[in-house]
Amino acid sequence: MATAATALGACGPGNRGVQVMVVWSGRELELFRRVLRGYGQPVEVISAGDNIDALLQARRAAGTTPDVAVLSRPGLVADYSRAGWLEPLDDALASAFTPRWAQLLYADGALHGVWVKAAHKSLIWRVPGTLPSPPQDWPGFVTLVRDLAAATGPRPLAIGAADGWVLTDWLENRLAVLLSADEYDQLARGERPWTDGRVRQAFTDLAELWATPDVFPGGGRRALLTQNEESVLQVTATRQAAMVFEGDFVASVVERYRPRAAAAEPFRFPGRPTGTAEEPVRLPLVVGGDAAVVFRGSVAGRQLVNWLVTAEAFRPWVAAGGYLSPNRFVDTHRYPTPLAAELASQLTSEEEVRFDLSDRLPGALTGADGQGSWQILQDFFADVTVNRWAREAAVSRAVERMERAAAAIREAGR
Amino acid sequence: MSREHRHRPTALLGEAVLLDDIGPPRRGRAYPTAGVASLLLLPAAVLLVSLVLWPVLRTVLASVTDENGWVGTAHFHAALNAEGAWAVVGRTLLWAVVVPSIVTLLGYVLAAATRRAPGGRWVTLVLVAPIALPLVVTGVAFHLLYDPEPRRGTLTALVAAVFRLVGADPDAVPSWLGPRLITVALMSAFVWAWVGLAVLVFRAALDLVPTGLADAVRAHGGTRRDVFLDGTWRPLLRRTVAIVFALVALATARTFDLILMMAPGSAVDDASVLAVRVWQTGGTTRGQSAALGVVWLAAVALGMLGAAWFSRQAWPPPEPATRSPAPSAERPRPGRLRRIVPPLAAVLWLIPLVVLIATSLHTRLDAAASGWWSRAPSLDSYREELASSELSRSLGLTAALAAAVTAVVLVVALLAAYALAWLAPPGAQVSGVLILASAVVPTQVVAGPIKEILDAVGLAGSVVGLGLVHVALGVPFAILLLRNALADVPPRRVREARLAVRREWSVLWRLAPATVPAVVAVCVLEFVQVWNDFVVGLLFGGPDATPLGLLLYGQARQFVTAGGPLAAGSVIASALPLVLVVVFRRQVVAGLVSGSIR
Repeated sequence: MATAATALGACGPGNRGVQVMVVWSGRELELFRRVLRGYGQPVEVISAGDNIDALLQARRAAGTTPDVAVLSRPGLVADYSRAGWLEPLDDALASAFTPRWAQLLYADGALHGVWVKAAHKSLIWRVPGTLPSPPQDWPGFVTLVRDLAAATGPRPLAIGAADGWVLTDWLENRLAVLLSADEYDQLARGERPWTDGRVRQAFTDLAELWATPDVFPGGGRRALLTQNEESVLQVTATRQAAMVFEGDFVASVVERYRPRAAAAEPFRFPGRPTGTAEEPVRLPLVVGGDAAVVFRGSVAGRQLVNWLVTAEAFRPWVAAGGYLSPNRFVDTHRYPTPLAAELASQLTSEEEVRFDLSDRLPGALTGADGQGSWQILQDFFADVTVNRWAREAAVSRAVERMERAAAAIREAGR
Repeated sequence: MSREHRHRPTALLGEAVLLDDIGPPRRGRAYPTAGVASLLLLPAAVLLVSLVLWPVLRTVLASVTDENGWVGTAHFHAALNAEGAWAVVGRTLLWAVVVPSIVTLLGYVLAAATRRAPGGRWVTLVLVAPIALPLVVTGVAFHLLYDPEPRRGTLTALVAAVFRLVGADPDAVPSWLGPRLITVALMSAFVWAWVGLAVLVFRAALDLVPTGLADAVRAHGGTRRDVFLDGTWRPLLRRTVAIVFALVALATARTFDLILMMAPGSAVDDASVLAVRVWQTGGTTRGQSAALGVVWLAAVALGMLGAAWFSRQAWPPPEPATRSPAPSAERPRPGRLRRIVPPLAAVLWLIPLVVLIATSLHTRLDAAASGWWSRAPSLDSYREELASSELSRSLGLTAALAAAVTAVVLVVALLAAYALAWLAPPGAQVSGVLILASAVVPTQVVAGPIKEILDAVGLAGSVVGLGLVHVALGVPFAILLLRNALADVPPRRVREARLAVRREWSVLWRLAPATVPAVVAVCVLEFVQVWNDFVVGLLFGGPDATPLGLLLYGQARQFVTAGGPLAAGSVIASALPLVLVVVFRRQVVAGLVSGSIR
């Protein structure tokens, strides 16, 4: 029915509002609608969920492409711009973001989108006051985990290994400090083999940590049946574990069960000791984000996107919480909590951000339940925690499977 | 009937009717009026050709071609040599053999045991209730039951307690949702949901067996074995067993709903069957996925041929009118087994429902962090669900969709059924075969091509598109049921009607009263089917079209932390189909069973 309405609207361009298709639903959708009320002109929002790619393809075939779409994968932005679907945008808009953020939206030398929402994925959460001083470097973190595992009390780590993306996020945080930005990008584009020594090192580090005896509540087998949100409750509600790793969105999970469950606060995912005095440890900063793109020929869409980049546009969502902006113009004082302000300022100031790898990997490697990188990492997790494989063998199997899948995709693309 | 085997036991029984009916019109007298008949058949034909048969051809074509033309068996090689592909094919066959065997055996035993047992009616009600539930709700109930956390999962806690009692290691409780046992867990949920149907069919079949036969065999000195073989098995039971087995085997394609709802991400691959694999690999408009779809279709076709061969009738079944008087009076008192089995089955069958309802009666945090037995009940989860605008919108949409689809299916199917029953349209036999074919096509196989067609007419992701797919999938079964009802009208009444009025519509209208039970059955079954749907919503739904099944699936993404509200939503979603099936059970059963044993 909506399609029919759109088709009618398309007959008389100029007299219909701007149409935006978004990946959000539920509360996020509601808050985005609140944002658009500040635009001053009518905007129609369509929620497409995870199927946005399929829906846009269908809309295109039917000739009812929206003006603007908000996509959660930079890979799609690149695909669409290559297909000639997207309107190139003003380079001036790129100044709202640090170069690393902006670079992801450039294709063929032109900017093809702007970031409208971001996720900070390099955080480890614990109940305040339960751990004295979290270590900043990986070896220190491993030691802490081992000490907690050997002691009585809660297990050191909760992990939602039933969600494959939790494991890929772990891997990305190791890769982010072991590889340079260029090398990380090469891996994402399939130009660097997964059997590379430092990629292997990242897997080996994880294997070493995960294989620690008694590290997860209920062991590896149980961890593989635990989802991300349940792993958060294992820290704040049932107190079966001391720490849990995941992004800034953990805060909203924690909040939902307050005050009966405890609060949680994050520290940064441990990094690599550099051996220099001014920056003793280089911390990883893995991020995710949603970008708005304009479809070719839409003037109204360009105007809307120009407005979305302004400092004031997302004010209602910033104030409501559960939102981080990668936009440098957004005043961090507007965030409802000091934590959100702090995380947002990390996103907009640190130069060395790495964008979520599994969202950038091509085709089958992207991952879904039981597929691609998610499945390979879950099998790797099972090999080191449940099947008790030798570390080397487990690492070899995992990187070789990743490489085989990547090679198959390269082959198909040729 | 692609949706029958995904969905509902019941519709599958249409198959049985068809196995019989694709031969020459067995009810003889017909009025050949080619023009009108073709007109009456047109709506059904357009739907089936565009949304079922063409998509099948498109799939077959896609399996042997790519954008450059003919590729032979390359896609088949690639698809079957992909990692884990043979395991998936093997698991699909395992489902199609093991589950129907268990359902058939259990169904027969429970039917025989509850037939004359005290309180058998209540036991039957408990066994039949799961049929009415959406399969996604079954998935929720069993996910809760098998939850691996000992402080929360009912069965895990129970077994851990037993282990502690006998001195075994309570940490050694098997994890039912883990990679090793996930298929067993899924099968148990499936059997739970389907045994009720088998019980109903066997009960009806056993009622039809003339008791005189057994007495005659006994009188001729037959052993117990002879009595069973000659008095029950050969005359009727063999055929019923073949039909139940075939129906359930076809229906195992519906494990899709259960796998998506119950299998944790890390175990999906260990639970995967062809339905899941075809869906994961992007639909059958792509070569490899199409090749898997063709393999699946071929297996279904072979299975149906086998079933048709086995279900040939060795003996003309007695007319229901000659049904022997209630035999209970002459029978001996029920034996010990008969007294123990029914209540035991009822208790076992109640457990998942108890777990579901008990979980729904706890707050979100209590349901996520502790067992339902350890916390005070609360209505918070219901409040949370009912307060969300998403649920109320989805309930409204699902009700409207189900009502509209039911109405359209009824009209389209009545017209076609009348034409097929009495007007001897040209190609009636071909139509019969085509209807049977469209009734057994799995939805996942045709989903990709159907989407292309919906895209082409601008209905992709809309409520109307969703409704059209439902109609196309529901029409074959409805035609079968109504055709049989119409064909059973005595020829004399048809002749009178035809003499009294001129137009075929008016004839149909005059015959309508005779078909009321079948119409009620079609309406209830179609409505419940659309209401309980998950796959069609998942494959063809969109942002403006989120039916209940899809909504629950969305909520179950983070299963444990959504447990309370999800269970509450499941109970809310199950109420209407349960009431409908219980209230109209007599018509529904009559409609279904008449098809399945005659």
